[in-house]
Amino acid sequence: MLFTALGILFLLPLLLPSPLFSYDLAEKVQTFTFKNGLRLLMLERHLSPTVAIYIRYRAGAVDEADGKTGTAHLLEHMMFKGTRTIGTRNYAAEKKIQLRIERVGTALDREKAKGKAAHSPLVAHLTDQLTVLQKEQRRFILSNEIDRLYSENGAVGLNASTGQDLTTYQVSIPANRIELWARIEADRMVHPVFREFYTERDVVMEERRQRSESDPDGKLIESYLAAAFISHPYRRPILGWPSDMSNLDIASMTKFFRSRHAPNNTVIAMVGDLQPSTALKIVEKYFSQIPAQTLASAPITEEQRQSGERRVEVIFDAEPQMILGYHKPPPPDFADYIFDVMESILTKGRTSRLFKTLVQEKGLAESIQAANGLPGSRYPNQFVIFATPRHPHTLGELEQAIDREIEKLQREPVSESELEKVKNQIRADFIRGLDSNAGLAGMLSYYEALLGDYRYLAQYTATIDRITTDDIMQAARTYFTTENRTVATLTRKR
Amino acid sequence: MKLKFSCQPFRVIIALSLILFYSGIASAASPTALPDPDRIRYKPLSFEPPRAQRLRLENGLVLYILPDKELPLVKIKVVVRTGSMYDPSGREGVAELTASMMGTGGIAGMSGDAVDETLESIAAAFHASVNRDSGSLSFSVLKKDLDRGFDLFSRILTQPSFEEIKLTLAKDLKLEELRRIVDDPQKLAFREFGRLIHQGSPRGRVTTSASIRSIQRDDLLLCHKLFYHPENVMISISGDIDIPEAKLLIERYLGGWKSSERKPETPPLPRQQDGGIYFLTKDIPQSIAIFGWLAPAKRDAQFYPFEVLDFIVGSGGFRSRIFQEIRTNLGLAYSTGSFYNARGDYGLFGAYAMTKSASTVKVISRIEEILREVGRKPVSPEELEGAKKAILNSFIFSFTSSEKIASQQLMIAYEDLPEDHLLTYRSKIDHVNAADIRETAKRLNPERAILLIVGNDDVYREVASKLGKVTRIEANF
Repeated sequence: MLFTALGILFLLPLLLPSPLFSYDLAEKVQTFTFKNGLRLLMLERHLSPTVAIYIRYRAGAVDEADGKTGTAHLLEHMMFKGTRTIGTRNYAAEKKIQLRIERVGTALDREKAKGKAAHSPLVAHLTDQLTVLQKEQRRFILSNEIDRLYSENGAVGLNASTGQDLTTYQVSIPANRIELWARIEADRMVHPVFREFYTERDVVMEERRQRSESDPDGKLIESYLAAAFISHPYRRPILGWPSDMSNLDIASMTKFFRSRHAPNNTVIAMVGDLQPSTALKIVEKYFSQIPAQTLASAPITEEQRQSGERRVEVIFDAEPQMILGYHKPPPPDFADYIFDVMESILTKGRTSRLFKTLVQEKGLAESIQAANGLPGSRYPNQFVIFATPRHPHTLGELEQAIDREIEKLQREPVSESELEKVKNQIRADFIRGLDSNAGLAGMLSYYEALLGDYRYLAQYTATIDRITTDDIMQAARTYFTTENRTVATLTRKR
Repeated sequence: MKLKFSCQPFRVIIALSLILFYSGIASAASPTALPDPDRIRYKPLSFEPPRAQRLRLENGLVLYILPDKELPLVKIKVVVRTGSMYDPSGREGVAELTASMMGTGGIAGMSGDAVDETLESIAAAFHASVNRDSGSLSFSVLKKDLDRGFDLFSRILTQPSFEEIKLTLAKDLKLEELRRIVDDPQKLAFREFGRLIHQGSPRGRVTTSASIRSIQRDDLLLCHKLFYHPENVMISISGDIDIPEAKLLIERYLGGWKSSERKPETPPLPRQQDGGIYFLTKDIPQSIAIFGWLAPAKRDAQFYPFEVLDFIVGSGGFRSRIFQEIRTNLGLAYSTGSFYNARGDYGLFGAYAMTKSASTVKVISRIEEILREVGRKPVSPEELEGAKKAILNSFIFSFTSSEKIASQQLMIAYEDLPEDHLLTYRSKIDHVNAADIRETAKRLNPERAILLIVGNDDVYREVASKLGKVTRIEANF
C-alpha cells in the first residue's frame, strides 16, 4: 500500500445485498469490454459533482516467483514515479542515466549478495557511482509529478494497494477531471518509468519495519500464514521477505509489469457524477489502443490437504495474543458464503457468541475477531480468529473457550432467530456500503476482477438466504477440525 | 541490454494492435500525441450543495436536518460539549467511560444486554467516542425501523443507567487496553505526545490504571448530567426522512429533555510552552519522532495561511516538503509528513517521521531544516499556486453526502464560526500570499517545539550526544 496501515490483507468486503438493492445495482451498472480486453464498469450517482475511479489488475503477490517476493508491492510504489511524458524534463537524456543506474545498481546488489566474500572496495566504488548517477538523474526528474497533477486538480483519496490477489489504483476526482485521470492512468499502464528505484526500495524496507518488525500484530500474522500454508504462495508476506526485498531489481520488475499490467487483465470501475457516453469516449480515446498482452500463465503451486494441527510460536516483547484458523474454499464456493455467516455469528457485535461468552461473561478476552478469507480469495484460503486474552488469563484458557464455542457450532444448530439477525445485519451493512462513490467503485471492481463478474453481488443475497442452520453445522463439522487447524501464539520470552 | 531486449516483442504487439483496432477510433491519440496533462481543458463545474434545515426546540436543543432519499437509511449524529479535559483530577477516563457505556450500560427500564439485543436485531449501528475537547455519538438505522430505533437512541442519549456490572467490565477492558498501549509504538508515541504538548493544561492529563480504578458509577451519572443535555449538544439528522417526520420524532422523543442548571467551567486553553526534546525508550528497530507546536484556531485570521503552510510543509501529498525530502529523496521513511488539527478555539500542528534507528538523528535534523527554511524564505509562486489549487479544487469533496453536509453546518455552529465560514473559506484561501505564509511559519521554530522521540538505547545515545539536552520520560499507565 502506498500509505496508511494494513492494506487489502484484512480488507475483505463482506457483502450481502438485500434483493431489492442488489437488483437495482445490477440494473444501474453499465459495462463495456474493449477489444483489448479491458473491462469498464460505470455507475451514475449525482449527489455531488465528483467521481471515484478504481483500477484493479488481476495480479498480486501470489503471482511472484519465489525469491522475488515483494515485487508486486514495490511495483505498485514505482507506478507513482511517472512515465516517459510525466515526471521528466527530457526523457531521452534521462533514459541513458536510468539505464546506467540499473546496471550499476544490479552489479552492486550482486556483489553485496556475496556476503562476507563481497569485495568491499568494489562495493564502495559501485555505491559512489550509484550516488553520482542518482544525483545526475535528479536534474531531469520532476519528482512525484503524478501526485502533483492529481492534487492540484482537486483529487482526494489517491492511493494504491497490493494484495495477494489484486493490485489496485484508486482516486476520487472532481467530475470534470475524468480526462486527466485517463491521461495519467493509460500512460502509466504502458510507459511507466521506474526512476528513483533504489530509494523507493529503501522506503518499502521502512514500511516493513513499521508494519511487521515493530508491530506484534504484523509479526504474528506473518508467522501464522507462513505456517498455515506450506506450498501455496499465500504463505509469503505481501511486502516480501527482507532478503528478497533488498535484492529486487528493475529487470525482473519490468518483466512482472509487462506480463501482468495489461488491459486484458484489468477492470476499471467509475462511480459518480458521470455521463456514461462521455466517460466511455474518454476511456476509449486513451485506453482502447493499449495492446493486449500474453498473460503469464505459470501454474501456481497448490496447497496440499493439511494432515495435522500446526503450531507456531512468536517470541516478542508484547502482551500475548493468538491467531487460530482453518483452511476452506474461496468464493464463489457455497461454503464460503457459510463462513461469512459464521464470521458474524461468532464475532459481529456485542451479541455475537464469542464476544458474549469470552469478553462479557467469562472475562477471558480483551478482544476477539473472526475473519473469513485470509490472506486472499483467488485460491483456497483461511477462516481465522484473532484473540487477545485479558490479564491474568492465558492463551491456553482462551483457546479452550474458543474450542468449546466451535464445538457448539458443530453439535447444535444455531437458532433461526440468530441466523435471521445475522442476515439482517449483513444486509444493512451492505446498504451502508452503497453510501459512497469510492465504496461502490471498490466493490464493483473487486468482484469483477476477482471472480470475473461484479454481479456476484447481486446473486449473493439469494445464496445467503438459502443457508440453513444445518448447512452451518455441516460446514463447522467439515472444516473446523483439529487436523485442519493452525494456531499461532505470541508471547514474551520466558 | 536486457531492458531493450524485453521491449522488442512489446513494440511488435503495438503495431499489430493498431491495425486490428484502428477502425472507429478517429480521435485516438498515439502515445507521442498525448496532451500535456497541465493543459487539458475542463468544463466548469457548478454545484450548489443542499442546505440542512436548522431547528431549535424550546428546551434549547439545536438540530440540522437534511433529507436524502437515495438509500433507506437514517443517520443521526450528536456532538457533545464534553471531553477528557473535564475529567476530575485523579479520575481521568470518566468522559470516555461515560460515552462508551451509553447503551451498553443499559437505560431506564432496560438492561444493557436488552439494549444490545434490540440494537442488533434491527441492525442499527451505534458508536460513541470522546476526545480531549469534545464527544460524539452516531447512530444509523434502516428506514423501516426508524421509530423504534429513534425511541431507543433517544433513551440511550437521555437516560443511560450505567449498570455496575457493565461498568466493571468496561473498566477491566480499559485496563487491558492500557496494558497493551506500550506494544503499539504509534499509539504509545501519540499518547505521550498528546500529554507533552498539553502539559500544564487539563488536556494533558492521561488515563492511567489508577485513575480508571478510582472511577465509580456516580462519576458517570454526574458526567452525563453535566454534559448531556439539550443546551450542550447539537444533533444532525440526514437520510430517508422528511422534515415534518423528523420534527415529529424529535418533539416526541427529545422535546421533554431538560437542560442542566449546573454549568461546568471550561478549562483554559493550552498555552505554548518552552521547547524541549523528550525521549521514551522502546526496543524497536524503527524510531518515531514527532514535533509539535500550538497553532492558529479556526477563528484566527492566521488559520488560512496556516492551512496552506501545512499543505506545503507536509500534508499536501508527495510533493509536500517533508514527504518529498524524507521519503522520496532520501528513502528514510514510509510514514512521514505533517498534520494540522484546528478547532474553533485553538489548533495543533505536528510533523513526524518513522525511520530506522540508524537514521533517526539525520531525519530529525532534516525536518528541522525544512521547518526553519519555510519561516526564512518565501515559498515559490509555483508551490503556493499548487497548494491553493489543490485546496480549492478538492473543496467539493466536503459535500459528497447529505450526512457530511448536515454535520458540517452543525460543526460551524458548534465551533462558533461565522455562519458564512464555508462561503468565505475559498476566497480567504485564495488570498493567502507568500508573505502571510512566511509570517505564520515563524512560529514553527524547532527550538520551541516539543519533540518526542521513541526509540531504542542506541538512538538515545546518539540523540543525547548530537541534539543537546534530552529529557528521558517514562510512560505512566
